[in-house]
Amino acid sequence: MTLKNLVPSFGKKKVPVRYDHNPFSLLHEDMDKLFEDFFRGFEIEPFGGRLSSFRPDIEVSENDKEIKITAELPGMDEKDIDVSLSDNTLTISGEKKEEKESKGKDYYMKERTYGSFRRSIPIYAEIEPEKVDARFKKGVLTITLPKSEKEIEKKKKIAVKVE
Amino acid sequence: MTDKRELQKREAELEKGVERTRETRVYAPAVDIIEKNNDIVILADMPGVDENSVDITLEKDLLTIYGKVEPEIPENHRLVVSEYEIGDYQRTFTLSDEIDREHIRATVKDGVLKLVLPKAERAKTKKIPVTGNA
Repeated sequence: MTLKNLVPSFGKKKVPVRYDHNPFSLLHEDMDKLFEDFFRGFEIEPFGGRLSSFRPDIEVSENDKEIKITAELPGMDEKDIDVSLSDNTLTISGEKKEEKESKGKDYYMKERTYGSFRRSIPIYAEIEPEKVDARFKKGVLTITLPKSEKEIEKKKKIAVKVE
Repeated sequence: MTDKRELQKREAELEKGVERTRETRVYAPAVDIIEKNNDIVILADMPGVDENSVDITLEKDLLTIYGKVEPEIPENHRLVVSEYEIGDYQRTFTLSDEIDREHIRATVKDGVLKLVLPKAERAKTKKIPVTGNA
């Protein structure tokens, strides 16, 4: 690790890096992130590419019969959430609007983020598009995608017999 | 290739020498604090929390909010992608004397906790009319 490696690289696409436990590489990563975060605000990106800061976190879990996707969307209205499925890609999009209380300038603290978002999740299993179910409760969106008969059939377990 | 991204949630700070009694992660929710003429409004993002699972306590000057989240992953499910880890929420605020402690109101809607802390009578902004010297 030479000192030159610690200088953060701008604009470069992140290359998947092998994760190692070298403390200096961790420092390098931290510094990269620090610079990235700092300069993010100055970037001029037309068409609203990265202007919105709200990006919901998702979790995906599955079992033999279904895939379940949950997304944390606190403070959103179900009317502002759009869920669509096409070509094995599930897209969640919407806009988190600033609450009326939040408008204005008398802020002590502003940590929550607003704006429009779009997240696309590729689905690798064959599913039943008519039976997809989306629910919004307590600020958490839950989408259940049942797998198709064929898909379930494919994953039949093979019993190991004892001779 | 998954993008290695820092978890948006920040873990709640724990006082030294204090241990948790429930084995779960505890996060500090993101909050907005807004001052209005007559009250101070705190909005906290706590997805997964409803009115039955949030606890608000006021002890001396410390207002603590605690939201309990039940894990939603059903049994037999295997986690494939995890960007947010499920955990409880906790955050403590210090109140000044300006707050009318008897009339704090709290509501939860769509995973957002809203606390309205009314200002004490003496701390309210008063408008003083200016009259022209006749």
